[in-house]
Amino acid sequence: MTTGRWNGTLSRRRFLQTAAAGTGGLALGGLMPSLAAQAADTTLEMWWWGEQELPGLQAFLDESVAAYKDATVNTMLQDTAVVISQFQTAAAAGKAPDIQYLWNGIYHMESVWLGYLRGLNGLVDAEVIKASNPTLLSQYGGDVYRVGWYPIPMLWYYNKELFDQAGLNADEPPKTWEAFLAACEALKSKGISPVGGGIQDGYWGEWYLGHALPQNLDSVGEALDLFIGERDFRDPKYYALWTKLEELKKAGFLNDDMSSLELYPGIDLIVAGKLAMGESVGTRLPADSKATDGQIGVMVMPVYGTGKLAGKPIMDTQGLGIAAGSKNPEAAAAFLEFLHSPERLQAFWEKTGWIPSNTNFDTSVVTDPAVKAMWEDWALSPNIPYVSNLTPGQFYEQAMVPAAQQVIEGQITGEEAGDLAARVVQEWRDFNPDLVDKYKSWAKDLA
Amino acid sequence: MNRSRFAPYLYVAPLVVLLAFVFGYPVVRNIEFSFKMVRGIDGPWIGLRNYELVLGQSLFWESVSHNLLLLLAIPVMVAVSLLISILLYERLRGWKAYRIILFIPYILAIPIIAVVMKRMFQFNGPVNEVLRWLSLDFMALDWIGSSDVALWTVMLLIIWRESALGIILFLARLLSLDESLIEAAKIDGANWWQRATRVLLPQMRGVIEFFVVVSVITMLSAVFAYVYMIGGGRGGPGTSTMVVELYIYNALIRSSLPGIAAAVSVMLLAVSALLIYPLFRVRSRDDGTGR
Repeated sequence: MTTGRWNGTLSRRRFLQTAAAGTGGLALGGLMPSLAAQAADTTLEMWWWGEQELPGLQAFLDESVAAYKDATVNTMLQDTAVVISQFQTAAAAGKAPDIQYLWNGIYHMESVWLGYLRGLNGLVDAEVIKASNPTLLSQYGGDVYRVGWYPIPMLWYYNKELFDQAGLNADEPPKTWEAFLAACEALKSKGISPVGGGIQDGYWGEWYLGHALPQNLDSVGEALDLFIGERDFRDPKYYALWTKLEELKKAGFLNDDMSSLELYPGIDLIVAGKLAMGESVGTRLPADSKATDGQIGVMVMPVYGTGKLAGKPIMDTQGLGIAAGSKNPEAAAAFLEFLHSPERLQAFWEKTGWIPSNTNFDTSVVTDPAVKAMWEDWALSPNIPYVSNLTPGQFYEQAMVPAAQQVIEGQITGEEAGDLAARVVQEWRDFNPDLVDKYKSWAKDLA
Repeated sequence: MNRSRFAPYLYVAPLVVLLAFVFGYPVVRNIEFSFKMVRGIDGPWIGLRNYELVLGQSLFWESVSHNLLLLLAIPVMVAVSLLISILLYERLRGWKAYRIILFIPYILAIPIIAVVMKRMFQFNGPVNEVLRWLSLDFMALDWIGSSDVALWTVMLLIIWRESALGIILFLARLLSLDESLIEAAKIDGANWWQRATRVLLPQMRGVIEFFVVVSVITMLSAVFAYVYMIGGGRGGPGTSTMVVELYIYNALIRSSLPGIAAAVSVMLLAVSALLIYPLFRVRSRDDGTGR
């Protein structure tokens, strides 16, 4: 249906083709029922991403498509660099897929503002949307634009064995900043690199802001205020995240090769027992916990801030949405609901070894206690969204990543990082006067 | 008569039309975009605003300065290429094998050699391990993790790879020279340095100029792959390896600013076009002299 993209008008050529086909069909008589059934078939186009970060997703999707009887679903795995631009270009040309993979926050909100995505309220079962936890960042103008697909708990790893070696309680990771600094000191005194990872490719800086900025926020909308000019990164409250990083650098608590290592090799140091603490993601935990025989613990970033969001687990979710130009949004919605059926949720776990984004998922199949505990603490307990997903691309590239990198290599102070962030925010407003109004509206949704 | 006059143009017309469509149309659209605030695939006309914003941004000028700094690599590339090509020309034992080995970096894709180089130059990587083993700790720098050093590391990689092209070009020119001149110089008692500087170099002027112009264009508009790989895909650490091409890429792909990307592309195209002019001059002069 949707792939035909018939525009509703009947040209003379099409009329003649239809008439000829109809006459031929009548002549064939006995074949008519099967031809009619074929014509009634619903075909959906789905563009997706995720195999790159969650191997097994392709197998899950292939099996789901084969098992789905109400429509033919054609899937296309997208390249990482073009997930957004390919969809937006196709949508502008009126050739968007029915179902599109969507990263959270601004990564799909721009498409919402361009009118390329359809609101899902009233289209997808409200229970399915809620259970899938698309997060607050998918809401705009009273509607929601994604169904959650798989979760990304944002957390910190710590190596229990190294904690034991330093005489720390491996069952009680530090919760406050003071306890954290004391733990770092204890680890350092034993010759163990206390905290860090790898920031050469920049992602560590993004994750860090996602963990640290909320510590001085009372609401998610407050983060958006930093971009619309209501609040300012030059306020110590908002550049404190980089001041804390500077503190760790000056104390010698960060691993010495942090600036030349990339994100994942940095996390590997924790798994390998060469680094005690650092940022990671929940999707890695099943494999890392198994590889270390349960030596990897998870924790929330130690609290230094006084905001209402401080100390809360952070949950991000990758999701799927329906294009505004879809000719059959109901069929697309039905397929999304199918992906959240109990049978499909189990299949997701079997194919990927990871938990699907659905609070109704039966976790009895999860045998690793660390993974189960993490799911309960991050997904089933009160959590907050990942605020780095609110930052405009320009801020991401010119402030969020460079600021963290430069603080870590000792080039700038935390306060100077705040100045850099404020300058880039001002430039973003100059470059994008139209988006500032959108951000203002969005801030109200997230307040 | 008229028919034969126009016939050649008719033969090449299909290709000209194809090229105009493939290259000309995007350029025209790019210029158009540079005057628009593009959202999605089009947007309102805003005159010179994109150019104003770009020219008023310190990051853009920092990117330009990094491209200009990379020009320092060119004299080194020329010197290295000349030295090695002349040594090879002297028919050192196994020179043909050396020639192949020296050209390998140029055959390999930049991402491949950059990934290897990146591992080598990590703070606790093989290069620094060797330096520390030799008690040269003060030389064990954070090659790719320090804002003060990263661009020089990129330059080192560029010199290593791009010099291979210079070696092959120069050697090809040397092998086409009349060897009787060298023999005569030897008989007259000229030493190696004198033969190189008084006999060989004057005859290589054209190919050296060609290599320099091509290298200038490379440094200003074709170093994306190097900085993308070494700078963590972001021109880092900080913005220390940001160059104009990466600025364009970030504006288009990561900041959703096609109008800004188009404005910088137009400026880069204009600069490249200005540099291509001397390249054609060199080539046309060489064609005339047979060099």
